[in-house]
Amino acid sequence: MINRIAHRVWDLLTSLKLTVISMALLMALVLLCTLAQVELGTLAAVNTYMRAWIVFYKTKAGFSIPVFPGGTLVGLVFALNLMALTAKRLGFAWNKAGLWFVHVGLILLVLGEFVSGALQVDARMAIEEGQTVNYVEHAREVELAVVEGSDPRYDDIYGIPEKALARGGSYALPGTPVTIKVKKFYTNAVLARRNPADPPGEVNMGVGAGVKVTEAEPVSNDNDLNRGTAIVEALAGGKSYGTWLVSLELGAPQSFTHEGKTYALGIRPRRTYLPYSLHLKKFSHDLYPGTQIPKNFSSLVTLENPGTQERRDVLIYMNQPLRYDGKAFYQASFGKEDTLSILQVVSNPGWLLPYISCVLVTIGLLIHFGITLRRSMKRRQEALAPKEA
Amino acid sequence: MTPRRITALAWIAGLAAVLFAALAMLPPKPARGFDLAAFARIPVLEGGRVKPIDSVARNSLLMIRSKQSFQVDGTLMNGVMMGGRTVTASEWLLDVMFRPQVADKQPVFVIDDPDVLGLIGMKQSSNRYFSLETLQPFLNEIERQAQAAQPVEPRARSRYQSAVANLYERLYLYWRLRNTVQNPEASGGLAGQLAGAAQPSEAMHQETMIQLAHFRPLPPLQGQSPDAWLTVGQALRNAAGGQANPGLTHLAGIASGYGGNDPAAFNRAVGELTALASTARPEAISHASHELLFNRAQPFYNGMIIYILALLGIFAYAFMLFFRPGHWFTQLAKEGSFALLVAGSVVHTAGLISRTILQGRPPVTNLYSSAIFVGWGAVILGLVLERMYRKGFATAVAAASGFASLIVAHHLSMDGDTMEMMRAVLDSNFWLATHVVTITIGYSGVFLAGSIAIGYTLWKHIVKNPEPETERALSDMTYGVICFSLFFSFIGTVLGGIWADQSWGRFWGWDPKENGALLIVLWCSIILHARWAGYARDRGIMAMAIFGNIVTSFSWFGVNMLGVGLHSYGFMDKAFVALILFCVSQLVLIGLCLLPRRFWENSPDTPRAKKA
Repeated sequence: MINRIAHRVWDLLTSLKLTVISMALLMALVLLCTLAQVELGTLAAVNTYMRAWIVFYKTKAGFSIPVFPGGTLVGLVFALNLMALTAKRLGFAWNKAGLWFVHVGLILLVLGEFVSGALQVDARMAIEEGQTVNYVEHAREVELAVVEGSDPRYDDIYGIPEKALARGGSYALPGTPVTIKVKKFYTNAVLARRNPADPPGEVNMGVGAGVKVTEAEPVSNDNDLNRGTAIVEALAGGKSYGTWLVSLELGAPQSFTHEGKTYALGIRPRRTYLPYSLHLKKFSHDLYPGTQIPKNFSSLVTLENPGTQERRDVLIYMNQPLRYDGKAFYQASFGKEDTLSILQVVSNPGWLLPYISCVLVTIGLLIHFGITLRRSMKRRQEALAPKEA
Repeated sequence: MTPRRITALAWIAGLAAVLFAALAMLPPKPARGFDLAAFARIPVLEGGRVKPIDSVARNSLLMIRSKQSFQVDGTLMNGVMMGGRTVTASEWLLDVMFRPQVADKQPVFVIDDPDVLGLIGMKQSSNRYFSLETLQPFLNEIERQAQAAQPVEPRARSRYQSAVANLYERLYLYWRLRNTVQNPEASGGLAGQLAGAAQPSEAMHQETMIQLAHFRPLPPLQGQSPDAWLTVGQALRNAAGGQANPGLTHLAGIASGYGGNDPAAFNRAVGELTALASTARPEAISHASHELLFNRAQPFYNGMIIYILALLGIFAYAFMLFFRPGHWFTQLAKEGSFALLVAGSVVHTAGLISRTILQGRPPVTNLYSSAIFVGWGAVILGLVLERMYRKGFATAVAAASGFASLIVAHHLSMDGDTMEMMRAVLDSNFWLATHVVTITIGYSGVFLAGSIAIGYTLWKHIVKNPEPETERALSDMTYGVICFSLFFSFIGTVLGGIWADQSWGRFWGWDPKENGALLIVLWCSIILHARWAGYARDRGIMAMAIFGNIVTSFSWFGVNMLGVGLHSYGFMDKAFVALILFCVSQLVLIGLCLLPRRFWENSPDTPRAKKA
C-alpha cells in the first residue's frame, strides 16, 4: 500500500505535466502579484502572492477563503519536480549534458530565492558627513531604547525589541535598577493633541500627557512606515517614575533621573550594532549640467575595525557596493542638502547562488541548443542529399 | 529572363533603396539666402549633453507640433498655389527667437482634445493646428486650468487635465525658446542688451533669461571645464562684470542678421560662432556635425519605408505565386523583396550604429531605443532564417516586424530627445550592454516567433494546397526561434537580477519589470516543455507562440503603464489603448489558429516528416 502511494507520488513528481502546470501557475501568480502592486505596494503584494503557501481572498465579512496555491507552495512543488525529473529522466548520456547544467542551475536559482526569502536581512545606515556610525537600522521594526549617559566615554544602551513590546510585561534592564513595564503597544498609531473633552489617559509624565493616541491599521505601502507607539511605566529601586508615552512619532527622548543617573526613553528603529564603524568623509551628488537628472552619487567612507586593526577608505557608489563581513553596503539615498548619505545594508548568505546558476544555465543552454542545432542541420543535409544525387 | 538577370535586377532595387535613404543626408538649400545648414550645426548644451541646435529645434517642434517640419501655404495666384513650402525645424526656431511676428502666426500648436478646443472656443474640425496669436486671448485661462491640473499625479489625471497641462507645457517651451538668446522685453535685441549689459535696468532681463533659457549656446573657453557651457543670461551678467564672452557678439550678429533680414550678416555671424566653438571645443563641433547628419538621414523613418516596400514586394510575390507561379516576375518579386529587406536592414543598422556612437552607450538605453533594437533583432534573425529556408516567408515576417517596431519607435519619439542622459543608477555601460541588450534580443525573438506563427495561420487558411515542406519549415523556424528567445530572455533576466544585486542590494525584488521578464521566460519554457512532452502539436505551438506576443508586449510596455516599481522610468500612458487593441488582435489570431477542423479548407495539421 505504502509502496503504491510512493509510486504514485514519484510518478506525479516526475511527470512533465506537473512541470508545465506549475510553470503556468507561477505565471498566473507572477501576473497577479504584478497587478496587485498598483493597489497594495510591492511588499504586501509579494507577501500575499509569492511568499505565501496559499493565496486567500478576504471577503467583506472578514472571512479568508483559500483561492489559489501561493508562490511558496508552487515554488516548492516546482523545485521538487525539477529535481525528481532531472534525476529520473536525464540519463548520463553525453547529449544530455546541457540539460543537466540547465536544470541544476535552475534548482540552485530556486533554492537561492528560498534562501533569500528566509535569511536575507535588510537594514540601512544613515551617516552625516563627519559622523561615525557603528550600527545599522531596521526601518520596519522599532525598539524601545533606554540610554544612560553618565559615563563620558560611552553610553549604556538597553533595547527592548518590538516583539517584546507587543508581548507586554515587565523588563528589568540588566545591570541597572530600572524595570520597564509595558502597558500598551500599538504597531501603528496616530498621535493628536488631547482635547479637554477627551477621557483622561494613563500617561502622567512627559509630553505624552497632552497627547491622545488612536490605534491605526499597519501600513502596507512600501513608502510608509508604521509609527510604533507604546505606553510604559518606568520603575527603579521599587519606585515608580510615572507612566510615559513613547513613539516613533515623538522626536526627542524623554528622561527621568534615578540616584543621579539619567535614563532617556525613546522609540527608534531597531538597531544592530556592528563590531566596526563607517565614517563618512564626503558625499558627492552630481547633476548633468543644466538639468535635474542625477549623474552620480557616491560616499567616501573610512572603514575602521578595531578587532582586526583594519582602517581604510572605501568609495561606495552606484553599482559598486562595499562587501564586508557578510554584508553589502549600497548607496541608496541621500538627504539634508547632500550632507547625509543613506546606505542600504543587506546580508544575504545566498547572494552568490544566482551568479553560479546564471553561469551553469548559460553553459547548459549553449550546449543543448548547440547539439540540437547540429542534429537538425545534419537531418536537413540528409534530406537534401538524395535530391542532389 | 535569366535567373542571373533577375537576381541582378533585385539587387539593383535594393541598392537604389539604400541610395534613396542616403540622399536624405544632403544639406537643405538656403532659405531666403540664410545658410540654415550652417546654423543647424552650431553646438549647444541642452538636457545635459552637447548637441547641434538642429536637434533642439527638431525635438522642440516635435513636442509642440508632433512633426519635425511643417508646410506653409502659399498664396493663390491665378488659380495656382505659389510659394507653399516646407519650413524646417531650424528655420522655425530662428523665427521663434528672432522673428516673433512671423512665428506667432504659424499654426504649430496641435490640439486634439475636444474639451481643450472648447476652452479656446473652437469646434473639433479638420483644423488641429493653432498659432500663438490664436491662443493669445486664452493664455491666462489655459494657465489657470493647467495649474489646477498640476497637483494631480500624472497617472491620476483625466484626459482633459493631461491635455491642458500638456498644452501649457508646450506654450511654456515656446516661451523659453523665445527667451533663450535674447529677451524680447529688452530694446535693441541681443546687441542692445550686450551694449547696455552693465546698466541696472538690464539685471532683471538677464535674470529672466537665466531662469527661462532652454539651451546653453555659449561653449566653454579653452581651459574651462567641458561642462561649463553658459546661458546667454549668464554671459551677459559676466559681461556686466567685465568678463566679455566673444560668442555673445556673434550671437547678436545672428539675431540682428536674421531679424533684420540681412542674410550676409547672418551667415557671417554663424561662421564666426562656429569658428569660435571649433577652436574652443573641436569635439563639440564634430559631435554636432555627426548628429546633424543623423538627424537629416532619419534612418529609422527611411528604414520603415523600405520595409514597407519589401512587404509590398512579398505580397506581389504571393499574388503571382497564386496565378503565375512560373513567371519571371514571380521570382523577381521574391528576390527583390529580400534585397529590399537587406537594404532596409542596412539603413536600420547604420542608424543603430550611428546612434550608439553618438550616445557613447550600448544600443538600448530607453523604451524608444528598445523598440528600434527589437525590430532590428527580428529583421536580422529573419534574414538568417530566409537564407536557411528560402521560402520568402521569413522575408515577409521580418519586414512586417521591422516595420511594426519602427512605427512603435516613431510614436515613442514624440516626447522629445531620444538620447537623454542616463540616470545615475543606469549609468553603467557594462550592464546596459549585457542585461538590457540580451533581454531586448529576447523580446525580438518572441515577437519573431509570434509573427511566424501568425503568418503560418493566415497562410494555411488562404493557400489552397500548402506545401508540406514549407509547413515543416515554418514549424522548425518557430521552434528554433523560441529556443533562441528562451536563451536570451533567461540570460537577460538573470543578468538583470545580478545588476539589481549590484545596485539595489537584492537579486530579485518582484518588481513589475522583473516579473514581466520572468513571464517571458516561463512562457517560452512552457512552450518548449509542452512540445517535448507532446502536449501541444504544431498548431498548439503556433497558437502558444502567438500568445507569446501578448506576454512580451505586457512585459515590455504593459508593466510600465502600471507606474509602480523601480523600472518606471520608462513611464508612458498614451499607448494603453494601442496595447489593448494589439492584445485583442492577437487573441483573434489565436482563435483563427485553433479553429476546429471543419473551418479549415485544408487539413489543419502539419504533415509529419517521413521517417527515413
